[in-house]
Amino acid sequence: MSIEVKDISYTYMTKTPFERQALRNVTVTIEKGEFVAIIGHTGSGKSTLAEHLNGLLTPSTGTVCVDGVNLNGKGDKVRSAKHKVGIVFQYPEHQLFAETIYEDIAFGPRNSGKSEEEVEKQVRKAMGFVGLDYDAFSTRSPFQLSGGQMRRVAIAGVIAMDPEYLIMDEPSAGLDPISRDAIFAQLSTVFKERDIAVILITHSMEEAAQYASRLLVMAKGQIAIDGKTELVFKEQRERLQEVGVDIPESIKITDLLCEKGLKLEKQAITKEQLVQYIKKAKGWS
Amino acid sequence: MQPIIKVKNLTHIYTDGQNNKIKALDDINLAIMPGEFVAIIGTNGSGKSTLARHFNALLQPTEGKCFVNGLDISVDENIWHVRQNIGMVFQNPDNQIVASIVEEDVAFGPENIGIPHAEIRPRVEAALASVNMTEYAKHAPHLLSGGQKQRIAIAGVLALLPQCIVFDEPTAMLDPRGRKDIVKIVQNLNKEKHITIVYITHKMEEAILADRVIAMEKGKIVMEGTPAEVFGQVKKIHELGLEAPLSAEVAEALRQAGYELSRDIITDEELATALCQ
Repeated sequence: MSIEVKDISYTYMTKTPFERQALRNVTVTIEKGEFVAIIGHTGSGKSTLAEHLNGLLTPSTGTVCVDGVNLNGKGDKVRSAKHKVGIVFQYPEHQLFAETIYEDIAFGPRNSGKSEEEVEKQVRKAMGFVGLDYDAFSTRSPFQLSGGQMRRVAIAGVIAMDPEYLIMDEPSAGLDPISRDAIFAQLSTVFKERDIAVILITHSMEEAAQYASRLLVMAKGQIAIDGKTELVFKEQRERLQEVGVDIPESIKITDLLCEKGLKLEKQAITKEQLVQYIKKAKGWS
Repeated sequence: MQPIIKVKNLTHIYTDGQNNKIKALDDINLAIMPGEFVAIIGTNGSGKSTLARHFNALLQPTEGKCFVNGLDISVDENIWHVRQNIGMVFQNPDNQIVASIVEEDVAFGPENIGIPHAEIRPRVEAALASVNMTEYAKHAPHLLSGGQKQRIAIAGVLALLPQCIVFDEPTAMLDPRGRKDIVKIVQNLNKEKHITIVYITHKMEEAILADRVIAMEKGKIVMEGTPAEVFGQVKKIHELGLEAPLSAEVAEALRQAGYELSRDIITDEELATALCQ
């Protein structure tokens, strides 16, 4: 069970002065059960790639298959394949539209032809997932919430569709640390419990390093690096610099300590690791 | 010296959708001096943006006063002076761009306040130069990157020759490169052009660049001091639902484990120096 991207290219605004090739011959397979982070700076093709994964964009050349079904087709089979892939866009709270939180989250499941009873079940589940109390919030307007809460409602709307592949485009942009940690804690839970694939698009190397087991680094419409998170930071430092991607702060500190004479046993990715390695290197533990 | 912004016992109450009265700001007192670079931190909903929106009279206090150069912002005749001297840059650059050509967008502000035509051109040129966007003067803003658009938004404010600019999370929507550009520009405006900066952010690595950091919680100012004074108190920062820079966090964890390290450590360099003595 996987999303298989085979040799796709995509050009925006063809035959205009603004023509730009956003993807060039991208090939990648993402299996269920993987937590993948896609990084790369603005214009590298991250979001364009993501929009191909559920058929929002059709590649100029190449194919995208979800569980073996080519998305560039018609019929129920293609429709249901597309429904397996949920996308939470950047600033999803800008897409809230309904009068109540319940109605907003119910829109997706209702549209896919579920009975009202099932719809309610899905809404309850999704609200529970994002940590919004059903009784307190379901009848309130989504527009009277704080930024973090609005973000959660928008994410619940995608979760309510029970995606098997969940794509999140910068889910934490503009959130304070508490809201950010809450969203990632929930994401980790759903990832573990349901054996889905999570594809996280982010500018934050800290997030990518902490949560993803595999990194796809994009540059100029191509996948520049594809590898296990730890190995990428260890072995591909020069390549990362070339494509203009930052390394996590914890690794910068590891390097700086080494430069000044305190060699840590390994590159630290989390704060906890950093503390632990420093203690060891100093002979404090 | 007279403060450029002075807030006295300011309370702001608004009514939400359910007709509940919500106190967004609770008896705030604050003075910001000319040339200062002040960062305001706090979780979503702590009142940072509400406070900042009083500085250029986008909001009016429910109780208390806000003064700009000694002028009360709730007096109608003063609003002209206030808006011209306190510029605002918001999070989303797309919401701040009005024209379809960069230089026209930057000229919009000065045109609006009736600056003579001959004076507008040099102002626009100087403003674009300050944000390194001169070569984009004839471009269409909607085809620029987020960081470039945000620079245009800053140029639009600069063209009004303000004494102070209030930035409300200007880098939240930008990628790391765009973020670095904006931070550098903000520092230059402060150091070289002596523009007073009020900088609201969730990014602690940006807040440590300020002269003074103010932390807010539930409509009140709860911490205030130099970056080292504020972020050295890692436990208190956590209680507010915030994070300290990684180096300060690591130093605190090591202190907790019983090792002696100074409370002033907030940068990578300081941490490395302290550990490698």
